[in-house]
Amino acid sequence: MIRRMWHATSLWFSQTWDDLKASADAGLLGGARFLGLIYGPIDRRLRIDDALRKALKYRLDPHVGWRQMFGGITYVLFMMLVVTGVLLALYYRPSVQEANPSVQHIVSNVSFGWLIYHVHVWSASLIVLAVLAHMARVLFEAAYKPPRETNWTVGLLLLGVVLAFGASGYLLPWDQWAYWTVTEVLVAISGFPFFGGVIADALMGDVIVSGATLSRFFSLHVIVLPWISLALLSYHFTLVRRRGIAPPVEVNEEKAPWRLSAVGTTQEVLKQAMEEAEQQGTPFFPNHLLRSLSVTVLVLALVVTLAVLFPRPFGNPADPLTVPDRLVSTWVPVDVSLALLRYLGMWGFTAFTLVGFSLFLLPLFDRRPERHIRKRPVVAALGAVFFGGFVMLWALGRGIGSLPPSEGIGQVERQERVVPARSSTPLERVGPTPVEPGSPADSAVGDGVGRP
Amino acid sequence: MRTLSVLGLVLLLGAVPDGATAAPVPPAQRLAAQDDSVYGCIVCHADKRRSFTLGVHSEQGIKCHDCHGGNTAVYEAPAAHQGRFVGTPSKLGTIQLCSACHADPNQMRQYGLAADQLAEFRTSRHGQLLLEQGDAAAPTCTDCHNAHLILPPEDARSEVHPTNIPATCGNCHEDAQLMARYREPTDQFERYRTGAHGVAVFEQRNFAAPTCIGCHGSHAALPPAVNQIADVCSQCHELLGRAFYRGPHGGPARSGELQGCLGCHSNHGTERTPFDAIAALCQRCHDAESGPGLMGAEIQEQVLRATEELHQAADAIDEMVAMGHEVADERFRYQSAVSEYNQVALVQHSLDLEQLRDLGLRVRSNTGIIRATAEAHAEEQWEHKLLLVPVWFLALSVIALAWFKLREAKP
Repeated sequence: MIRRMWHATSLWFSQTWDDLKASADAGLLGGARFLGLIYGPIDRRLRIDDALRKALKYRLDPHVGWRQMFGGITYVLFMMLVVTGVLLALYYRPSVQEANPSVQHIVSNVSFGWLIYHVHVWSASLIVLAVLAHMARVLFEAAYKPPRETNWTVGLLLLGVVLAFGASGYLLPWDQWAYWTVTEVLVAISGFPFFGGVIADALMGDVIVSGATLSRFFSLHVIVLPWISLALLSYHFTLVRRRGIAPPVEVNEEKAPWRLSAVGTTQEVLKQAMEEAEQQGTPFFPNHLLRSLSVTVLVLALVVTLAVLFPRPFGNPADPLTVPDRLVSTWVPVDVSLALLRYLGMWGFTAFTLVGFSLFLLPLFDRRPERHIRKRPVVAALGAVFFGGFVMLWALGRGIGSLPPSEGIGQVERQERVVPARSSTPLERVGPTPVEPGSPADSAVGDGVGRP
Repeated sequence: MRTLSVLGLVLLLGAVPDGATAAPVPPAQRLAAQDDSVYGCIVCHADKRRSFTLGVHSEQGIKCHDCHGGNTAVYEAPAAHQGRFVGTPSKLGTIQLCSACHADPNQMRQYGLAADQLAEFRTSRHGQLLLEQGDAAAPTCTDCHNAHLILPPEDARSEVHPTNIPATCGNCHEDAQLMARYREPTDQFERYRTGAHGVAVFEQRNFAAPTCIGCHGSHAALPPAVNQIADVCSQCHELLGRAFYRGPHGGPARSGELQGCLGCHSNHGTERTPFDAIAALCQRCHDAESGPGLMGAEIQEQVLRATEELHQAADAIDEMVAMGHEVADERFRYQSAVSEYNQVALVQHSLDLEQLRDLGLRVRSNTGIIRATAEAHAEEQWEHKLLLVPVWFLALSVIALAWFKLREAKP
């Protein structure tokens, strides 16, 4: 009886699996590979298990190893941010009244909400470091040189997306630190010549950081940027696949590789390409997959550990009428900015940002075939300054931790309340000298009281 | 001068001979007075006109000749100063001049002003000196109110605006030479300015707080009598005053054996007793081992303990905020604790130990719950760390397995 039931059940399972295999389209696998979930060419005419097997047999060049892991780590952290972000969005409410209480609710009442929240916050910091480590590896190994220069640019755009994600997410807890740090940044942006005011106004949506700003940052964070990053990531991964991973610096590539996609190619061309690929290198499965798995697990454990041991501290709920004594930093780029502003001032901050932007242009002015680090002193120095500087400044910024807000940051309301003095009122004639409208003495007279 | 003072006295007693000085004209006639452009006084006294026209008297149509007399139709000094002319009135003359209107309820009614200034002034020390002893150094109306620029007390430029009153009084009361004649101290203003009332008036612009006149009266300025001190203070500190009279010190204060509030506090400085000096304060009069001395020690202990409890509760709330917890309930409890703590001040004056113990208990019951909640959250945070054990166990196991498999897979 039991045996017959077992037999029936296992038969049902195997039939279901067969149906699944028969109905699964290689497009699904293509999509998975497109997102970098699996490697190797996939034949859309194969059943899903054969296609998977074939895909996993894909071989990578023998020099590909641990140094190439940072891109993968970035992707793992990105996926963690996506998953924890979706979970946070279940409870988060992007309104002035509810934003901070909903975060408190997530952290203190929702089961494992604290873990999800702090993992999200820590991943947001670590992804910046992972991106920069990935970028440093590419820079020092000259992997940005032709034929991979497009991917360098796409990667830098992705760095911008990561920073935009973090900056827009920074406001969402809606506590005093988030509120006033964003106010500081927007005031600084509005100080840029020509377009600064327009950008700051567009981001702020009001004369102060308010519910309009919160809505804008929220929609950027959960609607706009995810789609942009999906598009850029897909392109990034596709280019990695098509162009292959850069060879060691000693090797000069004779011809630029362009690997073929399984989608839209003929069987013969694909077969030939696969046979070529199978000749050399280590197979993705199991070698690289096991390494990736180890790294992924390690990163997950690390993030959870950081989230448990060093949860993000909270400030008081945001209050536009009270400027806090100190603004505490809760994100790596803010730490770096703190250190830059403290030790190098506004000019140092600008210079460092310009060094970062100059990396965009790297493939344009560095097109010679030399790839060894000793033959590229300028780029090596640039990289050392930027990446070494970033790590050093980050450490310094963690030490500083917080800065007092700048003078007069909360004075917008007050200034607007001052009523200009009327020169015809008899009161002014009592004073020793008549007060010129608009002079400093004039605003002192009307100081916030609303009457001259 | 002497004849003038005598004359003034006679006038003050009500027998004002008409025509001796310029009696102010009723308002109805004033409006029909001469046009400003042909008004003689301003030809020479333009400065006086300027300040006078800013004041309230000018608003009511009062003109120079209503107080000073003279002939306003001419523009030359000797001719203008003819007739019922008074130049600068004497101190007594001033009082007579002002009270001609301001002591007349019928004239003051329309402005909603009291007409008791003269009556009050007679009772004051200033009035006694000036009117009874003929002391020329005693102040008259124009020593505190500007003679020409007369502004309502609400006007910040007025000498009798709350922020200006201490300085107005200080004009004489800070003059050491002058005050030496009356054996008066001169540090009142300085002590008032740094005291609680001065800080309230000058720094917080809280005009409900008393200036000099709040306790001494304005026109009837006198230091309160010994048995009146507690009543003066309880005009504002009403609950404290009632508690004080309920307590053991109330009786002696009523009978004047005790200086009321001044037994423990100072008058102009209004210093608070630091919480850790309560026992020492009691021991100024009572023996440390006596009943009241021991009571003082217990009050100090209870107050200090409740204060410490509140500080700890506030820290606990800050801690919970930093952890991201909801603290609305804790804030509410803290407010309850604070309102109970504030009642401790009443008990400090009524000296009801039972009630003090009860209040201390109630403060502690609220702060205790706040601290317990914070501790529970801290405990939770510690429990979170336990999660790391399975996480790392699993992670390391996976990594170890992967390594074994990798070694196997290597050719």
